[in-house]
Order: sequence, then C-alpha cells, then structure tokens
Amino acid sequence: MNKLVLLLINFYQKYLTILSFGSCRYYPTCSSYAKTQFQHNNFFKAFLFSSYRILKCNPLFDGGFDYVKIKSPTKSKINLEFKKIKVKYWLVPVDEDRCFILKHNTKWDK
Amino acid sequence: MSINTNNINKEKTQKKILIATALSFAFFIAYDFLYLQPKQAAVTELNKQNAIQQTTTQNSAPTTVNNSVTTQNSAPTTNTVVTTDIVSTIETKNNIIKIDNLGRIAQVTLKELQYVDEDNKQLHLFEQNQLRPLEVRFANTATNNEAFKVNVVASLDKIDAINSVQKLILTQNLTNTTLTKVLTFYPDGHYDIDISSTNKEEFFITPGFRPNVLADMYADHGALLTLNDGTLNIIEDEDMEKSAELVGVNVASAFDRYYATVLYNYDVSMAVSVMKDINDSPNLFIQAKDGISLHGYMGPKKYKTLVALDERLSSVIEYGWFTFIAKPMFTMLQYIHDYVGNWGWTIVITTILIKLILFPLSHKGMVSMNKLKDLAPKIKAIQEKYKDDKQKSSMHMMELYKKEGANPMGGCLPIILQIPVFFAIYRVLLNAIELKGSEWILWIDDLAVMDPYFVLPILMGITMFLQQKITPNTMTDPLQQKMFQFLPVVFTFFFLWFPAGLTLYWFINNLFTIGQQYYVNRIFNVAREERHDKHLEEKHHNKK
Repeated sequence: MNKLVLLLINFYQKYLTILSFGSCRYYPTCSSYAKTQFQHNNFFKAFLFSSYRILKCNPLFDGGFDYVKIKSPTKSKINLEFKKIKVKYWLVPVDEDRCFILKHNTKWDK
Repeated sequence: MSINTNNINKEKTQKKILIATALSFAFFIAYDFLYLQPKQAAVTELNKQNAIQQTTTQNSAPTTVNNSVTTQNSAPTTNTVVTTDIVSTIETKNNIIKIDNLGRIAQVTLKELQYVDEDNKQLHLFEQNQLRPLEVRFANTATNNEAFKVNVVASLDKIDAINSVQKLILTQNLTNTTLTKVLTFYPDGHYDIDISSTNKEEFFITPGFRPNVLADMYADHGALLTLNDGTLNIIEDEDMEKSAELVGVNVASAFDRYYATVLYNYDVSMAVSVMKDINDSPNLFIQAKDGISLHGYMGPKKYKTLVALDERLSSVIEYGWFTFIAKPMFTMLQYIHDYVGNWGWTIVITTILIKLILFPLSHKGMVSMNKLKDLAPKIKAIQEKYKDDKQKSSMHMMELYKKEGANPMGGCLPIILQIPVFFAIYRVLLNAIELKGSEWILWIDDLAVMDPYFVLPILMGITMFLQQKITPNTMTDPLQQKMFQFLPVVFTFFFLWFPAGLTLYWFINNLFTIGQQYYVNRIFNVAREERHDKHLEEKHHNKK
C-alpha cells in the first residue's frame, strides 16, 4: 500500500509538479513530507499526517519548517562506537520517544 | 566537476521531458484526426453493411434463471426503415415518434428549435441499425422467431398528441400468444406503456440502444441503471466483459452525452438483463413476465424536463467521479440562470462567484508574494551563496520568510482544492444539454460546441500568458521557468476543441486573476514609491 502511494508521489514529483511549482509554504514541501511519511510510518499514520499537512498548507497558516516525526530507534541501533558510516538520515530527538527525521544531503559531506 | 555534469545531465533530461510532452500532444491530436475519426466513419459504414447483409444478429431473448434460451435466432435484421415499415406516427409538442411494423420505436425526431445538427437539420435520436426501443423478445424461441416476422396492428396510424394525451394500441397476433402494447403519449413527449401477453408467454422489453447523436471520448456513454437501494450502475460502451442481471431496478437508461432513452418505474421494481452486443456495448432487457407497466422518456437529458416527470429522475444525468461536487455546481448554475436567462452570462457570474469565495486565500497569497519583492536583494544573496545546494538554499529562504513574516507561496491546499472544482465545472459544462443552442455574445451561438473561430481558446492562452507575466514568481531554475512559460501553449491546444462554455469559464477566470494581481501590484508600487520619496526627503533634510 505504502509502495503504491510512493509510486504516485514519485510520479507527481516528476511530471506534475510543474502545475503547482513553487507553491508550498513549508520545508520540506508537502510532497517530500508525504514521501518521508510513507517511507517511515505505517499507512494510516502517514496518510493522516500527510493530509493534515496539506490542509495546513494554505495562506491562513504560517508555513515554515515542518519535519516528519518518527518513533525513536531502540538503543541497540544507535551507533555508539562512532564507526564511520554512510549517513542517510539525521534523527533529531524531539522528546522521550520521538524524533525528527531529516534526509541527508551528500553535498553536506564536503 | 561532477556536479556540473550532473546538472547538465539533469537539464538534458528535463529538455527531453519537455520535448516528449510536446510530441505526445501533437501525436494525440494527429491520431484523433487522422486515425480515430476516419476509423469511426469506417465502422459505422461497416455496421450498416453488416446489418443489411448478414442475418445472424442475435435477436434471442436474454436467458433467465429458470429459463435457459441459448439458441440464436435468424430473425429479420433491423434494416433501415423505409416509410412503408412505419405503422404509426405520433406527434407531441416536443417530438415526433415513429413506430415500425414490429411495434418498436423506429425514430424520434426532436422538434424544439435548439436541437439541430451542424446543417441546421432536426435531430434524430437513434441509429437505424441498432436495437430499437420497445422491442420485445420472447423467452420461447419459436414464439420469438415468429414475433420478428409478424407485423403488428396499430389502432391509429397518425396521432396528434400536441395538446392532449393520446392512446395507441399495438397488437401482434402470434400462434401461441397475443401481445398487446398500450402506449399513452403525453404532450411533453414522454409516454406510458402497458404491455401484456396472453397464455403466460414470458417476454422482455428494452428501452433500446442509446441515442447516437453525440457519443465521443470526452464523456461517458452506455447504459445506466439506478436501484431501489440508491446505487447507480453505469455500464460503458465497448467495455462489457459478460452479461449481467440486476434486480430491484427502478430506472433503466441508455445514454450518449446529451440524450437518453429511459424506462422507469419507481413503484414496482424491475429485473433487468444487461446483454453485451457484438461491440461489447450494453443492451438492456427488462424482464416483463407476461405483462408490465412502465413509464418512458426519450430525449435530451435536460434537468428541468426530467424533474418534471419525476423528482428522482435527475439521477440519469451523471457527471462521473466528481458528481458529489458537480451536482451542487449544476444546481448553482441553474439557479443563476433562472435570474439571468443567458447561459454565457451565467458562466461569467459563476466564475466571479467562485473567485470571490477563493478571494481571501488568493489575496493573502498575492500580498505576501509582493512583500517578497522588497526582499529581492536578500533572496538573491541566499541564492548566490547556496547555488549548488538547492536544499540548503530553500531552507534558508524558509528561514527568511519566517523572519519577515511573509510566506510568498499560495500553498498546496488551494491548488488541490481547485482541481475538483475545475473538473466539476468541466463535467457540468461538458454534459449539460441546457447549453445546447444557447448563444452568448457576438460570434458564439452555441456554448456546447467548440468556438468555430478559435477566438476564445486563443484569448484564454493570451490571458494565461499575461497572468504568468504579471505574477511575481520565485522560480530559480531557468529550465523550469521555461517549462512554465510553455504551459499556456499546451493549454491553448487543449482548449481548442473544448465546448465554448468551458473555455469561456477559464478565460474569465484568468481575466479576474490578472485584475486582482494588477491591483495588488499597484498598491505595492505606490507604497514603495512613497517609501522611496520619504527616504529621499529624509536624505535631503539631513543634508541641510
């Protein structure tokens, strides 16, 4: 199910963005927000949050930064030994058990 | 270096996409003109020949659960009717109905002035070689075969139902049974039918194959059935996999874009067999047992006409996916039309109303977009600094917007909201027979067909282009900008063959967006000049 949605989002981002180009009031944009949601959360949660985000994306709201929140990974998954790894995402803790998820940009490596 | 090649590659792919889009549009248009249309002509020609030469069309009755008739019948084909085949002609206020020698409706001619074809000739609803309305098929094969050979006897050969309700009785005497159709014609053009057979001979009756005045790919055509439980079944032409049987039906309709032939009964529900014909299109057969009473209508799917027959009959007008928003849209249009009296102006007013409803949203967006103009130097600085990192650049931009309390973007919601509204209007204007023959100003004398001189689509394209010109945009990628500028051309092409009413909507919509944007721009320019003057004055003052 999530895969199907991701396929649709990819299609949208590739071909249809031109119609709505530069209209999103948020960072990351609604489509990439939804993409991350569907990649990391279950369908219902992702659907709910993505819909909420799109509903908020209008001139009556301020817009701005709004990252996807996910459940914090368990301790065992944390790279405590500081081994050199290939960074894909940055997880920024929000509270006890949740964190923001930010996509890593390879350009930041330099 | 790698970044550079990357960018070049990306640009190349984008260019490719652009070219591909343009090419595919060209292809579809060419395909439609050079291939589809001649093919359609060829198919109709072929059909005509088939009907005349081959006598193997399946005229057998649909099979029912308790009675399996599977044999095919070599009954006389439904040849083009010559006048001698007509046993009765009924004239009502709105139409002329012809009954053929097998007791079926051979043709319906619409009398109202707006229903004319391109050559200004009156419209005939039905194709001659298709299943005709009120054709009866017996479950018993022998009886069925016979029924296609024996002429019916009509009680009257000419009926004037222009001012009064008139009755016609058609009798067909067969070996096993006598079939009696009692038709009651009303001045408004609709009819009641009471049909029965003696000796408990089971039979079926059909509302006929759909009218074939305008059946194209822009709107659905086929069969529509509404059930007592409120569900709606639409079976599109050339799309049937297997025959089906439905019970609890109250309306059985076969329709093209604007016209329909309908049999309905809201008091006693019907059982309907939906048979697939040689083109995989639906043929409807209502199970009559040995007798049934129904109401019938053949003509334009005009809202007011249908509702006058029965409030619930408006369900035969369908707008596809967006019915939930298209129906209220139509109600609104109809309401405005009652006051204005002209469909062209109705569309203009509706457009303005929609714009007004969306005004708070669009205005706020425009204002903050303009605020941003003042921040141009700062934005440029950010763009310069993070030239190679789009992500970082947009992050810093967002920070700037936040600091200045101005977010230039309209947001995703308004855009997403506009899509169903547009589709609803599109479907309503595409399907509304009310627009047929309704004129607007100057050269537009039929809002339901395309603009003959392409003036409206071109105006639409120009206004769209101007709208883009006047709207400050924050696009940074030159290629994306180019693609964006290309959009008006694509849209103009799209709209060339659309009904004038729809193009009119889009054109007026653009016009008002331009007006609004121009107004906002001016306010800001004045404010900026004032600030500038003040600034100069202060400088002057300081010098002193």
